Amino acid sequence: MIDLLVALLAAFAVWTGWRVFRVDSMVRASFSLMLSFIAVGGIGVLLSAPYIGVATVFMMAVEMMVMAIFMVMFMMNPAGLNPMSMVHQHRFSIGAGIVAAVALGAAVLLSPLPSDPVLSETDVVADLGHELLGPSMLIFETAGVTLLATMVGAVILSSRQGRYGDSDEGSRPPGLTPDGDPAGRQPEEGGGHDHHGGHG
Amino acid sequence: MTAVLLALAVLATLMLGAVLAVAMDRRIAQLAAGLARQRIETEAPDRLNRNLAPVWYFALAAAGLSVVPFAPGLALLDSPVGIVIWGACEALTIVAVFLHGWSPNAPFPLIGAYRYVAIGLPVMLPSMFVLIAAALPAQSLSLLAIVESQREMWNVTRQPLGLPLFTIVVLTLTLRGPMDFADAADIATGTSAEESGAARVVWEVARAAMLVSASAIAATVFLGGPLGPVLPGPAWLWIKTAALMAIFTWLGHRVARTTPSRMLTILWVILLPLSFVHLAIAGVIAL
Repeated sequence: MIDLLVALLAAFAVWTGWRVFRVDSMVRASFSLMLSFIAVGGIGVLLSAPYIGVATVFMMAVEMMVMAIFMVMFMMNPAGLNPMSMVHQHRFSIGAGIVAAVALGAAVLLSPLPSDPVLSETDVVADLGHELLGPSMLIFETAGVTLLATMVGAVILSSRQGRYGDSDEGSRPPGLTPDGDPAGRQPEEGGGHDHHGGHG
Repeated sequence: MTAVLLALAVLATLMLGAVLAVAMDRRIAQLAAGLARQRIETEAPDRLNRNLAPVWYFALAAAGLSVVPFAPGLALLDSPVGIVIWGACEALTIVAVFLHGWSPNAPFPLIGAYRYVAIGLPVMLPSMFVLIAAALPAQSLSLLAIVESQREMWNVTRQPLGLPLFTIVVLTLTLRGPMDFADAADIATGTSAEESGAARVVWEVARAAMLVSASAIAATVFLGGPLGPVLPGPAWLWIKTAALMAIFTWLGHRVARTTPSRMLTILWVILLPLSFVHLAIAGVIAL
């Protein structure tokens, strides 16, 4: 029964993972990936790792929500509903995909898998906590502090206020046509040629 | 046999609770009239998500309620990580509300969707700290153990900041009052602006069901859930859940909503540090 469920969830994870590249919108791609991860989380729960499985679900729900918004922001695809292709650099990505699939497949097939069934009365959640804050504490805390530093750095980099004044001062958006005038509002005193009335 | 009874109890609580929630809002006649209305079509919507967003919202409310113990030691989903399952339901609720606003492909719903995500994601952080703090005295992530840990003293007195902070979470999850940045009147009911007829009714029912589910979790985590004298466990859970629903509904109607930017400042600068302090105090007491 559990074998069948794991197989179904694995198939669902692969199918939604494939959908990520076949849909035509950033939002659909993000949430297809989220469904794929939720299926993986379900497999974790079935394999007696309830905390890791459920934590995967809520982490991915938040992460993919953030990712959808950032991708729509950076791709200038206002609603994420405008059709656009989710694939690029075809030749390179096909090569990278084949290499990754062969390498990971070989790792799965060739490594000796442990056969060490967990007893049903084991308190796996408490064991995981003792492991994370015991023998694996250095790795766990290093990853945690690295992520925190990344977040602080990202906030500082994206902040408008800076040591030398506002970060967007004097910056100009690119032109709407190649070598055209900058888009958007023109500064009052700057420029000097061909003011075209403000709004781009 | 017990499992069947518990499943029925979860379903009945969700259904009757949703009716009660709509009655508390005094909107039964309005929703009943909505059933007779026509549905609006928008241009190039995402049909799958448009039709399914209310279903997901309702399903998340049901999944959240399934981990709530109806009697000491008795829950439909007796998981060692019950409170994490509820956390996952909270996070996925934000996705469901976002998809509800994103899928019609129309301006007001989209503004509501993005505005809601901007507010909803920072609300998740105090939520996680509050829930972890409640798990500390129980030394377990299981809601059954959290109920057991409240035999001597309820968490609402042991961790006084917990319920006020969780109230903000509940108002966010149920799109109510000061935290309703998704379906508010200032953007023409936001994510529901293009929704009419039965689809709108289903969305409102799912929103009411989420109020039931979130209130039941609050009752379990802070008010001892099914614990209480004389009456049986489920009765106590229902009484506490209904009382909390009344408080949340009243707050939703009474407290004004501020601008999203000011609410973001309040969330990050006041409520997040406050939830850190709450967790630190709870940790020291639990030692």
